[in-house]
Amino acid sequence: MSKQLRIGIIGSGAMGQTHVKAWQNTSAKICGIVSKSEETAVPLAKSCGAKVFDSLDQLLPVIDVVDICVPTHLHCEITLIAAAAGVHVVCEKPLARNVSQAVEMIQACESAGVKLLAAHVVRFFPEYAQAKAKVVAGEIGLPAIIRLKRGASQPEKSSDNWFVDLEKSGGVILDLMIHDFDFARWIAGEVKTVYAKNIGTEHPGTSVDHALAILTHENGVLSHIEGSWAYPAPLFRTQLEIAGSNGLIQHNSDKTASIGSFFYQREQADVDVPLPASPMHEDPYATQIKAFYAHLTEDAPIPISARDGLAALKIALAALKSAQTGAPVDIQEMEVVS
Amino acid sequence: MKIGIMSFAHLHAEAYIGNLRAIPGVEMIGIADEQLKRGKQFSKQFDARLYSSYEELLLEADAVLVCSENSRHRPLVEMAAAAGVHVLCEKPLATTAEDAEAMLAACKAAGVVLMTAFPMRFSAPLQQLKSELDSGSFGKPYCVSSVNQGRIPVDYRSWFVDPELAGGGALIDHVVHLADVMRWYFECEVTSVYAQANNLMYPDGVANDSRGIEIVYADEVAVETVGLVMLTFENGVFATIDCSWSKPLNYHTWGGLSFEMITEKGLITADAFSQNLSVHTEKPMGHNLAFWGSDANQAMIEEFVDSIRMNREPAVTALDGKIGLDITLAAYESVRTGMPVQL
Repeated sequence: MSKQLRIGIIGSGAMGQTHVKAWQNTSAKICGIVSKSEETAVPLAKSCGAKVFDSLDQLLPVIDVVDICVPTHLHCEITLIAAAAGVHVVCEKPLARNVSQAVEMIQACESAGVKLLAAHVVRFFPEYAQAKAKVVAGEIGLPAIIRLKRGASQPEKSSDNWFVDLEKSGGVILDLMIHDFDFARWIAGEVKTVYAKNIGTEHPGTSVDHALAILTHENGVLSHIEGSWAYPAPLFRTQLEIAGSNGLIQHNSDKTASIGSFFYQREQADVDVPLPASPMHEDPYATQIKAFYAHLTEDAPIPISARDGLAALKIALAALKSAQTGAPVDIQEMEVVS
Repeated sequence: MKIGIMSFAHLHAEAYIGNLRAIPGVEMIGIADEQLKRGKQFSKQFDARLYSSYEELLLEADAVLVCSENSRHRPLVEMAAAAGVHVLCEKPLATTAEDAEAMLAACKAAGVVLMTAFPMRFSAPLQQLKSELDSGSFGKPYCVSSVNQGRIPVDYRSWFVDPELAGGGALIDHVVHLADVMRWYFECEVTSVYAQANNLMYPDGVANDSRGIEIVYADEVAVETVGLVMLTFENGVFATIDCSWSKPLNYHTWGGLSFEMITEKGLITADAFSQNLSVHTEKPMGHNLAFWGSDANQAMIEEFVDSIRMNREPAVTALDGKIGLDITLAAYESVRTGMPVQL
């Protein structure tokens, strides 16, 4: 390992906590945490020997990499400040809340000569990474139709639940389905048109959301993407199916669950934001951060670029637009509009 | 009651013949097929009398099952209606709206039953779910994600991939089942249809003569093999149907029909074909499923017989078949235009 990078974490919620644990699998030093919640920032800083900083401006001079784990609508502003300070950026998905923000982030990081790493962690989940490898190896021929499903209970937060604020998070379509929009594009290439519907739009006044989207890729491949924040807690389900000219790959988390517990009484779920999990010696968040670290220190290749993050964002925003207008959306329409 | 089968073009005829023989008071009088070779083959296989013509069969029958190719339903149904014989017609009811309308009119004028073969209405798991929906225990339904995939059916009959005879590919083969289940569940109609399709599944064609099946090459798969449809219903429910022939030819079962529904009470999952034993043997394709659930086809044909005996409308009508076809034809139009089609 060539050098030890100094990391600053922005945000001490579910993702901030997950990323802190992930960084501890590298030789990086977590120097500081900036969070609007002292209540969660202090114990998180203590857990990794870091210090709580009052502001980004105070933190930036003492770090090499900032890891942005705050609500989506805040990604852009922090990235621009970090880039201007010459600090590399790891940014939780989605890259930004709209296209112009994401473009500005990419341009700012490029011109500042810092890296912008989009944390699309699903590319590092072993079942998804293996499925991709098998497709690349030609095991199922050329893909024809892809089905991806990802569902959980609606994220909860004791205060300021930004997830349910469409303006901040983009809802289930932007926050959750973006994983599978990215994965579908990773498998089948650029998307041409998007048609989507969601409960929030079709049944106004409901407290849950669930969306179905049909993607048509430029090469004709079809993808069916399903995202849910309508499941009862605690439940996180993922499914993957890629049918090709010469075979089929399937994953269903209902069937791969390696441990089951069936208690007389079920305790309340104690997490705000449910995350998919399967017992592994290394969790996929650690795999992702280790890859990022190797990229930052040794320029090792990583399977995701900021432009991939932008492309996934465009698909998600096209799905949101389609759900709102009732019409299919050509991805070209997402070039200029927010 | 004397019942015969007109044409063995559709593979379901092979199941129906046993279903008919299992009904007390029903005499399975025999079969007729304009393809003599096919008629002889199944006559021998099922030890059934082979009539020399449809006309000869209709002279003796009270009712018939029409199992011809999709686009050849109409002439046989009209022939039966003209002979005053009741009809259970294989799905899809027809391949054009004109044909469907003509079939409805002919049977109405003749005063004979015309029932569409939608066996999923008679699936025990789907029926139980219907009664729970009706009881209100699921609350208001919001959306459905449904799947009716299969292997490309050429290993049964090559006409399934003939656009003239089948009227299309995966869309016309599979969309009607789930569209009908949801119309039945929600008791309201589809208002808009969006669909996309492709023909990417079998670029090298299908060659699987090791099992003695007909070989179809790439340029012969002139129909869509993959399709996704989004329906919107009058009650606001939106639903996708995956009708793709996306299962490999050596998949351990023919395919399946399943769905997940989100309602105001939570998540409901349903699978019409999960009641299986999983059987593993030392043979080359050694994994297969042995279905032990109730036979939906049997219940469907009993309903056909009962509706004739009781002189009443069957639980699934010709109109249900026609509406299922209308939805499918709207899906094809959407594929052509790229836009949702309003019904």
